[in-house]
Amino acid sequence: MPADLLRMEDYLAKSLKRLPRANLAGAATQAIDPAVLASLDEAWEEGEADLVVELIDLYLGDAPQWVEAMRTAAAAKDATVLMRAAHTLKGSSGSLGIRQVAETCRMLELNCGEWAARIEELLQQLDRDFATARAALAAERMRRIA
Amino acid sequence: MRVLIAEDDMVSRRILETLLRNWGHEVVTTLDGEQAWQVMRAPDAPALAILDVMMPRVDGLEVCRRVRKLSPATPPHIILLTAKHGARAIVEGMEAGADDYLTKPYDRDELRARVQVGVRIVELQTRLAGRVEELEKALEHVRQLQGILPICSYCKKIRGDQDYWQTVESYVADHSEAEFSHSICPACYETTVKDQLASFRASVQPVV
Repeated sequence: MPADLLRMEDYLAKSLKRLPRANLAGAATQAIDPAVLASLDEAWEEGEADLVVELIDLYLGDAPQWVEAMRTAAAAKDATVLMRAAHTLKGSSGSLGIRQVAETCRMLELNCGEWAARIEELLQQLDRDFATARAALAAERMRRIA
Repeated sequence: MRVLIAEDDMVSRRILETLLRNWGHEVVTTLDGEQAWQVMRAPDAPALAILDVMMPRVDGLEVCRRVRKLSPATPPHIILLTAKHGARAIVEGMEAGADDYLTKPYDRDELRARVQVGVRIVELQTRLAGRVEELEKALEHVRQLQGILPICSYCKKIRGDQDYWQTVESYVADHSEAEFSHSICPACYETTVKDQLASFRASVQPVV
């Protein structure tokens, strides 16, 4: 292939990567805020590894331990640990545009003093949100490394 | 500029790191308040720090309080990142010693602008500290040349700090930035040099 065409192909591949809004499919659109991914793509510099892929890997590696920490803290009725775990997961979810997980974490952070059914209900909600987010992130990751 | 970041959430930390590096800063990354404090207390601490408020072990507010107690010549510029909104959170941060704050989720352009303000303030303070040091040195010399100087009524030597008599020029040179260029004034030329030159000429002229 001539050098010009190779360069064009490279350019198109990079440009397409920078169009997350158009490429995000159904579930992913609901779970991940496309505007946040677009703004992260802006921070990504030519020649560097895809920042969003790196962040997805960090998030998927880190988030389960916070979900687990919240479950353990709720069982032990430890409001401080529950609040801290909810706060941290809220932060990293918000940074990646995972809105629903961030919102449920915010509710957990606000309600961590109440040990009634509310916490259990929120933790179950968090499990569902996180499962959806995990699938959306995995799909987004696949799309980017393809 | 070297910028310290303290953020326990690894996703937010990685984003912050990437942004600051892309803006041309050298980033010193810490994972909690205790680590941040250990870096900020060292003599070569970064001049600018971005601290998350809510962190395990030592929180961002406590790091601010501790850093402010150090009072170095050029205090670091501290920006707090807080999840809390409202006046109470801002006042709490400022009272702890922060220079600026941003609420999470922050706008990237706003962060960049605030970091640039921090860089300007740090550079200004560094220049100011340099000038203050120069002025203090100059003042020290002025003080050394103040007061009563014991001077010999005949040879005009000055008794120095170690009871050592030295010429006016060597005393002044030791106690100030002044330097001397030697010359002869018209009065001394008339009274002294003229006669010395005449006798010198007479001594070198061949006897006829």
